[in-house]
Parts: sequence; C-alpha cells; structure tokens
Amino acid sequence: MEQTRRHEGVILTTPLVAFLLLFLGFPALVNLYYSVSNVGFETLRAPVLSGLGNYLAVFGDAGFWRANWFSLRFGIFTALAECGIGLFLAIFLAPLLAKRSWLMAPLMLPLMVAPAMVGLMYRLVLHEFAGPIPYYLYEWFRWTPAFLDVNSAFWTLAVVETLQWTPFAFLLFYMAYQAVPDDVRQAAALDGANGWQALWTIELPLMMPTIVIAFFVRFIDGFRVFDNVYTLTGSGPGGSTTSLSIYIYEAFFKQGAIGKAVAASVVLFVASFALLWGLNWVANRRRRA
Amino acid sequence: MIIKALRWFVLVVAVLAMNFPVIATFVTSIKSARELSINPGLWIDQPTFDNYARALEVTDRLNIFGYLFNSLVAATIGTTLAILLSFPAAFAIARGDFGRRLLLPVVVNLRAVPLIIFAIPLYMMFQWMGLLDTQLGLGLILTIVNIPLALVILVNAISDTPIELDEAAKMDGAGTWQIMLGIIRPVVRPALVTTFIFGFITAWNEFLFGLMLTTNKAVPMTVGASFFFSASGGGIQWGMASAVMIVGALPPMLIGLLMYRQIFGSMTAGAVKG
Repeated sequence: MEQTRRHEGVILTTPLVAFLLLFLGFPALVNLYYSVSNVGFETLRAPVLSGLGNYLAVFGDAGFWRANWFSLRFGIFTALAECGIGLFLAIFLAPLLAKRSWLMAPLMLPLMVAPAMVGLMYRLVLHEFAGPIPYYLYEWFRWTPAFLDVNSAFWTLAVVETLQWTPFAFLLFYMAYQAVPDDVRQAAALDGANGWQALWTIELPLMMPTIVIAFFVRFIDGFRVFDNVYTLTGSGPGGSTTSLSIYIYEAFFKQGAIGKAVAASVVLFVASFALLWGLNWVANRRRRA
Repeated sequence: MIIKALRWFVLVVAVLAMNFPVIATFVTSIKSARELSINPGLWIDQPTFDNYARALEVTDRLNIFGYLFNSLVAATIGTTLAILLSFPAAFAIARGDFGRRLLLPVVVNLRAVPLIIFAIPLYMMFQWMGLLDTQLGLGLILTIVNIPLALVILVNAISDTPIELDEAAKMDGAGTWQIMLGIIRPVVRPALVTTFIFGFITAWNEFLFGLMLTTNKAVPMTVGASFFFSASGGGIQWGMASAVMIVGALPPMLIGLLMYRQIFGSMTAGAVKG
C-alpha cells in the first residue's frame, strides 16, 4: 500500500521535476561550468577550463559592486516605502473598503500593467516637452527637476517602482487586517483600549508575520529589478542605474563577456539561495517555537 | 464625518497617483497631432482616435497584431503547460504527502530566485535547440515563471477539498487517476481558473526573456511596444506610441478588472501560505 503510494507519487511528479531539471537544473550546471571556463561567442561550445579567473574579474570590477549597491539600496528603499504606504492605506481605508469591495479594483489595477510598459509610460510622463508632470510643475512653480539625470534617476525609479507595487503590500496587509479576530478587538475595547492602543498592541503584532513576508518579497523583487529600469533609463546616465540584473544582461549582450556574466549569475544565485535558506530557517524555528 | 471625508480623499489620491502613468498615456493617445505639439497637459479640446488608427497600421518594421498574437500564443502555452505539469504534482503533494518536504519548498522558493541567472545558459540552449525567436520557446520560459504560484494555489485548493470525497470514490472502486481527474479536478475548477487568469496576466507582462530570446518572429507585446519609441528617424511620435501602449496594456488590465476577486486571492496565496 505504502509502496504503491510512493510509486504513484513518483509518476505524478515526474513531469514537473523533469521539466524543472531540463530548464533550470541543466542551465544551473552550465552556469557553474562556464563560470570557471574561458569562453566567448566563438568558443561557445568548446569552453576551456580556466579556474577562477572569471570570478576574480567580477569581484575586481567596480561596476559589479556599483550594481550590487544600486540593487541593495533600491530593494531596501522600495520595500520600506511600499510596506509603509501599503500598511497605512490598508488600515486607514479599511472602513471604506469593508462595505464596497469593488473599490479594490482600481487600487490593484497598477499590478496588472507590465512593469516594462510602465517604464515606457513614464518616458512620456516625465518627458521635458511632451510630459504632463514637467509641464504642470513648470506652470505652477516655474521650475522642474531633471528627473532622469545622474543625481535624480535613482529616486525617480524608486518612486516609479513604489507607486506600481505598493498595491501588492496593501493587498497583503488588508487581508491580514481583516483576519484579526473580532472577539480580540472587542476584548481590547472592553478593557478600555482606544483605537491607537488597539492598533499598536493588538493589531500590528498580529499582522507582523505578514509584514515581514511582504517586506522580503518586495525586497527581493526590488533587488532583481530589470523591466521598468531597462525601459525607462536603460542603464542610466553613466551607468548610474545599473541594477545587478542589468549588469548581467549588459555583460552578456553588449560586451559579449560571457564568462563574467555567468560568474556574476552564479554569485547572485548563491546570494539569493543563502538569503532564502536563512529565511526558511527562521520561519521554521518560529513555527516550532 | 471629517475623518470619513479624509479617507475618501486619501483613496482618490492613491488611486490617481498609482494609476497616473496609464491615465496620462491614455489622455495623450486621444490627442490630435496639433494638440500634441502645443499641449502636454491632461486637458483635451478635441479627442480623436487617429493615433489608434495609425498604431494599428501594419508596416514592414512594426506589426502590432503580430506582437499581440505572439503574446497571446506564448502566454497561453506558458499558462496551460504550467497547469498541466503542476496539477498532478499538486495532487501527489496534497493527497499522497509526496514531495512536501523537498519539491514543494524548492518550487515555492523559485518565485524569489532572479530568473536572469538562468538566462544565459537558456539562451545558448535555445540556440542549439532552434527555439530562439519562437512562440514555443518563449512559452516554455513563461511556464517556468508560472509554475511556483500554480503549484501553491493548486496544493492549497486540493488540501482544502475533503478527503472523504476520495475515500468514497475509492470505496466505489475508483483508482488514483479517476479520483484525480474525475473527482478532484471538477471540485477545484475555481482554483484552476484563478491559476489560469493569474498566470496569463503574469505571462503577458513578462519582459526580460521576451527581450533576450526573441528578435523578430516571436516578439511579444511588451518588447514590441518599445520598438515604437525608436521607430521613426525623428523624435518619438508620442500619440502613436501612447496608443500602442494602451492597446498592449489593455488585455491584462481588462482581465484584472473583471476578475479582481479571483486575482486578489491568488496574488496573496503565494506570499501568505507559501
């Protein structure tokens, strides 16, 4: 009996496992092999093992560290902003939304638009002659910043990302807020807690697991950002908006530095694996505690 | 009363700010050529659909119907295949307790792995297999993108189905296949629909692999839209480019507006229960 069940489990999961091994497992091995090889577009199928040269080249490249720094700042800042604004909206708008759930539709609409498309749209919105934002700023204040120059491009992109993905954090928090049991709220009210006290001592602590998850999901998505940055600024003036994903893309497609691109991929793979492993470890410990 | 007005105010500001790029692009797309050059604001004197007519024109270099069709085919492959692969596995995980310790966590965490790290070997693999610049090739990648959430949603849905259904069917002599396809599949149909909707939107909006793996025949809408920005030798034709962006963004937005209830649940499923 137990054996047939195992047997069936193998059969039922084999297609999925085979697919993942072919399209992710095999590429991962190729990554590892190429990252320690001497390879160019001419020698694509005959790479020569060359030790850790590619890794040394990546770690010695100031551009790699700059891309890491951009992705790290971008991920942390956007995750904080999205979670902060999302949390505020979820709690402040909850009384309106409870009775009119159709209001959720316009609030989650930004999530339906391709980030690449949003990046293109902001090229119009922020354009110095055709864009409405510089136009109105100039009409009202006789001044408009250069949104996409070296100094402001980071912040412009961070705001673009935040405006599109705040709804994601908002949705999670709204669900978590609704899930706070009513009797807990009533008990707090009976004990004489006012709205603020209930929020700080009851509701937010109950929502904390969701807040932590939302932060990390958004941090990871912000760290690996590609689409909207690529379509809005490319790699930006003087490479100032090169995220790690764009670094890898450009090393491969623009410079043809396959070894370097692959080595950077492996570094990113190890880093994301370490982060996920750490997160799961913490989550499992909490569950057991 | 004041606080209620304040809530409404915050709601309207949030909706307008977050949807501003779509609103501004739509307004620009219905401006006449004359107005485009003198009025960058959000007010229009004479709305017109000329830009749409021009955007839908097929030329040697630009073919919006081609991009829409490529997105449709690739996203359909990417969503259908993800469900076909995930459903039996989800059944094994939820009912057989098989793969719960390794397969499920590995696949769930894939959602958080930056897929660009696989892009270069995939590019070379596709070149070798002749899948570069094909709808099938892009569809296979979109399958990978969709698998994590599909598996989570389906495992949750099957776990929520009472096991008594299986047991009753087993009494009647049904085998595993009959239980999976005859009993469970109809019961979790809403979850299958949700997975399809959400997967389709995700696949339609994918950009990175469309950019890397297609050049001409299989270019999806997200990539094709950027071609209109570098089209004419002179400056960008904002009216036409805006019309293209609205057309390209419309399918997922319409699906999203019609089905927001289903998507609402599934978008949060991966994060809350995973």
